[in-house]
Amino acid sequence: MTWQRDDPAFYEKEKAEIGAHFSSLHFVVESDLVYVRGSFPVVFEGQALDHYTIELGLAQNHPAVLPIVRETGGRIPHHEDRHINAADGVACVLIPDERWRFWPSGAPLLKFLIGPLHSFFLAQTMVEEGEPWPFGQWAHGPKGIFQFYRELLQTSNLRVISTYLDYLSAKRVKGHWPCPCKSGRRLRDCHFKQVQNLRDKIARKDAENSLAILKTAGTSAIELTEARPRTPTLPA
Amino acid sequence: MTADEYLSEVLASQALGDDSEELKALQTHRSDVEKLIRDNFKNTALTIRYAGSKAKGTMNKESYDLDIVSYVASGDNTAGETLENIYENHKKALGKKYIVEPKGSALRIKGCDPVNLGVDFHIDVVPGRFTDDTKTDAYLYQSGGDKTRLKTNLDVHLDHVRNSGVIDAIRIAKLWRVRNGLPVRTFVLELAVIKLLKDQKTKCLSAQMEHFWTELRDNPANLCIEDPANPNGNDLSKCLDDNLKSQLASAAKRTLEQIKSSDWEVVFGNVQKQEKAARIEILRSAAAVATPSRPWLPKA
Repeated sequence: MTWQRDDPAFYEKEKAEIGAHFSSLHFVVESDLVYVRGSFPVVFEGQALDHYTIELGLAQNHPAVLPIVRETGGRIPHHEDRHINAADGVACVLIPDERWRFWPSGAPLLKFLIGPLHSFFLAQTMVEEGEPWPFGQWAHGPKGIFQFYRELLQTSNLRVISTYLDYLSAKRVKGHWPCPCKSGRRLRDCHFKQVQNLRDKIARKDAENSLAILKTAGTSAIELTEARPRTPTLPA
Repeated sequence: MTADEYLSEVLASQALGDDSEELKALQTHRSDVEKLIRDNFKNTALTIRYAGSKAKGTMNKESYDLDIVSYVASGDNTAGETLENIYENHKKALGKKYIVEPKGSALRIKGCDPVNLGVDFHIDVVPGRFTDDTKTDAYLYQSGGDKTRLKTNLDVHLDHVRNSGVIDAIRIAKLWRVRNGLPVRTFVLELAVIKLLKDQKTKCLSAQMEHFWTELRDNPANLCIEDPANPNGNDLSKCLDDNLKSQLASAAKRTLEQIKSSDWEVVFGNVQKQEKAARIEILRSAAAVATPSRPWLPKA
């Protein structure tokens, strides 16, 4: 399955939108994969403050998953402190589970570029100038996943978070299941709407991956730096 | 400000002075690279020289490379019997201290220490062997091409660019390539500028650039370039194929439209120098209205 061949009109639309907004970025198809390459400007009030040479690798099932982002000019060190994976040079622009906030399913690729991608490179420029990360940063690996769900669900209880992720990964959820908040009530009588709402936002695959990352890391690795799990106070 | 005054400012903002941090860093790396090569080929009579934009005077701050040629004397097999051996042995030698990426005839080096991991030092090492004792023409190994051997002459290349009379236009064209993300090789672009401006040398820079882009836009199919060091031997047509010509033509069309509908500043942006404090203020203002997404990293 290749999205550009399956839906040529969509491919042309994505290409035209990016081309109209970023004349310095070009679509290239290589071995049936689509790449967007070129010079990416960091812009404020119409003025380019900086430029980065980048490559976005669009997955065969684009836009179902986040593009693979690389800074190909060799300017940013491949270091975790700069959110670039040392092994493969891939930049981690955001946690996939969070994409609904910035690049929701169905939104054009352009939204990803002018949103989180632009913020990522703006932040890189600021860090280069000795400034802190302007929007903060998630901790690396499982701790970042935990941090994200802790903020989202307003709980530090890893068991609660894991159960939520379990429900978000499931093909479907049933009302008679116990609520993930551990209140002892049935899901339909407790946080059913919230779970459904999150299932609409967070892709099953992303939740599944996050759950696997948390499980692999184990409780101790995540909770070492955390305070004792608090009793969850979940918004209904 | 007139178009030519503006272009002059652009060139000034892109200049890499001898005392610039970038050039100092490059020269330090250059010394390290030369030492590494010489230490690894102690019994080889090597000629190691600057080539590329540093030697041609066409360096731009926004995208610069330092080419270093490392040529073995003709008949000297101590660094490898074949050109491919010489290339691979240089790669192995450089690999002791750097990440080495093969790139045509060159070897691009990148940092491999934890602090600079993956950082591009903008240095290409071009191994080769002189064809004879005059040490003028040289053979280079060419990976991934039809022919594995390329005959070239560094001095002819340098003179062709340095004496072209259109150095400023070349620098502007190189910046234009970077800003438009055009995948055209530097040498190919330089040859194209020189060819298209051969009768325009007395014109002002803005007129030269407009002519260059107009030719690219209107006559891309007619654009043919040849290697001045080996006009009949090296076929550069693959470096400037129809697809690339079409990309250059579209970018040229867009640029000419921008100049016509707005002004030159739309093409290369504001070039006023900013103090660090002022720049940080602007960056902070940009951050205040940007999407507040936070970066992550999958592996701890």
